[in-house]
Amino acid sequence: MDPMNFNFLCSEPAAPNGRSVGIIGAGPSGLAATGYLSCLGYQVEVYDKLPKPGGLMLFGIPGHRIPKERIDLGARKLERKGGVIFHTHTKICCSGPLHDEEGDHFCREILGFGDMVKKHDAIMICTGSWRSRKLGIPGENLSGVFSGLEFLFPIRAVKYSAPNVKLPDVAGKTLAVIGAGHSAVDVAHSAVHLGAAKVYLIYRRTSREAPCGAFEIEQLRQMGVEWLDRTTPLQVLGGSKVEGLEISRPGQNEAEVSVLPVDLVVTAIGETATPPFAKELGLENVRKGEVRWLHMTAIENVFVAGDALSGPSKIGKAGYSGLRAARSLANWLDLKAPDRLDAYDYNDLVTNEAGFRS
Amino acid sequence: MSGQKTLYIDYSLCIGCETCEYVCRFTNDTSRIHMTRTIDGVMVPLYCQHCENPKCANACPRGALKRDKDGALILQSMFCRGCQTKNCILACPHSAMFETDRGVMVAKCDMCAQRRQVGMGPACVEMCPCVAIRYVDRDEISALETEKSKLAHQKVLDHLKLPGKD
Repeated sequence: MDPMNFNFLCSEPAAPNGRSVGIIGAGPSGLAATGYLSCLGYQVEVYDKLPKPGGLMLFGIPGHRIPKERIDLGARKLERKGGVIFHTHTKICCSGPLHDEEGDHFCREILGFGDMVKKHDAIMICTGSWRSRKLGIPGENLSGVFSGLEFLFPIRAVKYSAPNVKLPDVAGKTLAVIGAGHSAVDVAHSAVHLGAAKVYLIYRRTSREAPCGAFEIEQLRQMGVEWLDRTTPLQVLGGSKVEGLEISRPGQNEAEVSVLPVDLVVTAIGETATPPFAKELGLENVRKGEVRWLHMTAIENVFVAGDALSGPSKIGKAGYSGLRAARSLANWLDLKAPDRLDAYDYNDLVTNEAGFRS
Repeated sequence: MSGQKTLYIDYSLCIGCETCEYVCRFTNDTSRIHMTRTIDGVMVPLYCQHCENPKCANACPRGALKRDKDGALILQSMFCRGCQTKNCILACPHSAMFETDRGVMVAKCDMCAQRRQVGMGPACVEMCPCVAIRYVDRDEISALETEKSKLAHQKVLDHLKLPGKD
C-alpha cells in the first residue's frame, strides 16, 4: 500500500534551512502542516499525546474506513524523507487536568508550553476537537453512559496496550446509541461486533436527515440494530448505574413516553474543540479573522490550525487549514529574518480567503 | 486505448472526508473535484474521468479540450477564454466541469499537469486517506472493481441520472 503522502508537495524535501518548528498534535491538520514545512527544509518536531501519529484518523475512525497502514506509512515517510521527529506519548501542558480528555492516559511526558515557544522558531497548535458534547439530560453522568469517543477510542487504542485502556464491556448487554452521524454508526457497528445482545440507534429526526445517510442505517438494521427515528431521549434512569433510558416518540396525537431497558448509553452527538490556552492565545480573535497574520495567535510565533481553531470538521478541511497555516508560518519566518514584515499583504490573504471559515 | 492514464474512484471506499477537494484547492486554487452525496448517503466526489470519448471536448466550439501525452484531457485556457456557451459544462455526464470566477470561466481536472511535469502524481491520489481514488491506466480499472464498488457505482449513476438515460 502507498503511504498517505503528507509530503505530496515535493518529490524530494529541500535541503535543511536551519529553522525549527514544533507542531502540537499529529492529526490531519498537524500532519499536513508537517508535510508542507518538511518539504521546504524545516526541521519539524511533532508532539502528540497518543502512541502513534494519525490522531482521530487512526484512533477515532475505524480501520475498515481508513486503513491504519496507510497512515503509518505516511508518518514513516515524514520521518525518513522529511527528517521529522515525532514525540509520542507527550502532552504539552495543559488545557485542563490530565485524564480530562480521551487519550490522556497515554501521556508519559508533559512539556511546558513556555519551553516550546523558546525551543522552536515557531510552533503550531493542531490539537483538534476532543471534548464530547453533552446531551444535558438528567442521569447523563451515571456509570454506563459513554460519549462516542469514550466508547470508540479504547477499541482502537487497546492494541497499544496502555495500562488504563480497557475495551468497553458490552457482551450480552443492551445498548442505546444516540445520534446518527458516522460516529454513531461506528459505535453501533462496534457494539454488534463486540457481542452486544441488543443495540438501539436513536435519532431525533428521520433517516432522510441522518448525517450518515439512509444506506448506512439500512446496513445496521440488517445486522440487527433497531432504528428508532423521531425519538428524543428524556433521561437516563438508574441508581448508581444505567438501568434504562426514558424516551419520547411521536404517538397518534401526542408524544408517547416509554422506557428502553438498556445497560449502556452512548451519546455520539459530536465534539467541541479543545485548544490549550484559548484565552491567552486570543483564539476567539483568530477565529473571527481579527489577526495581524493569518492563523497567528496573540503570541507572535505561535500559530493555530485545524479543528482546534474552527471546531469539528472533516479531515479535508482540517488538512487544508494546516497547509494554509504552514504557508503563513513560513511566510512570517521568511519576512521576519530580513526584517521585512511590513511586506505582508494582510488584506489579500485574510479577506480573500475568509470564506473558508464558513 | 492502453497507456492512457485516468482517475478512478471506488465509491464504496470513499468516506466523504473531502481531503481530495481541499488538497486540490490548495494545489490548484480552484478545486476540480467536488464532494457531494446521494440522498441515501453514498459519498460522491464529482471528478473528471478523462473519458475515452469525451463529451466535453466534442461539445466545445473552440476545440479547447485536448488530450495530453499521459491521457489527461487538458483545458487550454487561451481558447476557452471568452466563450460563454457553457457547452462543456452541460455536456459532461459526470458533472466534473466546474464554473468558477477565477481566470477563465471553467475549471477542470488536468490530473495535476504541472506536478506530472516534475515527476509527481495527482495530489488528491497522494493524500486520500482511504485509497479510494487511484491514478491508473484505463485498462486497470476493471481489475480494481469489486461487488461493493459496482453496487456503489450503480447508486451514483442512479443519483446523477445521466442525460438520455432513465
